[in-house]
Amino acid sequence: MFALVLMSLRAKQRKGVEFFDALLMEICSPLEKASTVVIKTVQKTFQEHVFLVNVEKENRMLKQKVSELQEENHRMIEVRLANERLKQLLRFREETPLSMVGAEVIGQDPSSWFKSVTVDKGERDGVKKGMAVISPAGVIGQILKTTPDYATVLLITDYNSAVDSIVQRTRAKAIVAGKGENRCQLKYLLRTEEVAVGDAVVTSGLGGNFPKGLMVGEVKKVDKKGHGVFQYAELAPSVDMTKLEEVFVIMEPLRPSPPQEEKVKKGKKNRK
Amino acid sequence: MRRLILPLLVGIFFLVFQTTFLSSFPIQRIRPDVLLIFTLYLAFVFSPIFGGVLAFFLGYLMDLFSGNTLGFYTFSRPLVFLTAQLLKERFYLEGFPFQFLFAFFFSLSEGIFISMLMNALQPIPLASLYPSFFTCLFPQSFFTGLATPLFFFLFRKGSSFVSRQPEQGGR
Repeated sequence: MFALVLMSLRAKQRKGVEFFDALLMEICSPLEKASTVVIKTVQKTFQEHVFLVNVEKENRMLKQKVSELQEENHRMIEVRLANERLKQLLRFREETPLSMVGAEVIGQDPSSWFKSVTVDKGERDGVKKGMAVISPAGVIGQILKTTPDYATVLLITDYNSAVDSIVQRTRAKAIVAGKGENRCQLKYLLRTEEVAVGDAVVTSGLGGNFPKGLMVGEVKKVDKKGHGVFQYAELAPSVDMTKLEEVFVIMEPLRPSPPQEEKVKKGKKNRK
Repeated sequence: MRRLILPLLVGIFFLVFQTTFLSSFPIQRIRPDVLLIFTLYLAFVFSPIFGGVLAFFLGYLMDLFSGNTLGFYTFSRPLVFLTAQLLKERFYLEGFPFQFLFAFFFSLSEGIFISMLMNALQPIPLASLYPSFFTCLFPQSFFTGLATPLFFFLFRKGSSFVSRQPEQGGR
């Protein structure tokens, strides 16, 4: 009945009802507010703490994904770099008329006094002692020891290495000898020869192992101060021997061709 | 036989470690000579004959994979082993500084010995060899010395583990 009275009063005019409305609202709103605060607090607690279990899992998963992608990225970069290197090697191989076999460097010299590397090609691939080892940038060294599947390359920076060479600009003859530590020196370079810093040094082709004209390095220091017949010159190899990865072994060591008569004699013997 | 083969296999492992992993660092001068450390360690645990044979093989392995043809290390490593055997009773070798100095002294001495041999066997003396004492030999000996306590610790742990294995198997 009371409700009906109220409804009828409201329908007729709004007077006198506002008080009840206000009273009810004033009573309920604080409760509502308190309830909302509690709910929000609970929700917040759940979102920030309880639901974080999943977030933590997700975070871990994402981190793993990121590390996987990073690893893949590194792998892709490595593949791209290897591809570029191999393309360069292939181009070099196509441009060079020599018969060569590609080899991968699989190990460095265990001692600090000697400079050599081990490659994954050996006697089964036709590699023999004394064969020249080069890269697109220039001369690396020569084969020192061979096994059926592997070979040791004596680098031109080794103290025991000697390569017959000429200074490209002046054609001055000298022997490139190793000096350790990625450096070489020009031995037996006559004092009368004009050699300047920056001059390129190439193989002379006289040693028998290296074809003529292969880049050996660049003159970095010239010293004529001392006495004697020869001058001192230091050379930086054109190849960084500390970063060797792939090399080429020249399969045909240059041998002086036998005179025509000998060839004929041999031919006759073979026929017999 | 097992006592001879196991150190040989360990030696081969360290040779590979030295020629591949340690050589991949951009600064070659800080590469410690792990095989020398291993040879020094052998001096503490093996008899002169048994250890001498092992040191000979380790030196031979070094020569096999290095660019030298005259077998310097095959000669020097048994010498290092025997000298270390002689000295081990006369020096206190526990603790970092003593082990460091011990390996540093041997690495330096072996380097000087090999360079002298190299120079003596060259037709013309190598004038450029001696400056490398400071640029190459000294830093390498220093880092070999620094790495020695760690490797000695690892070798000890490894050998005690290996010597414990048969006992456990027998139980």
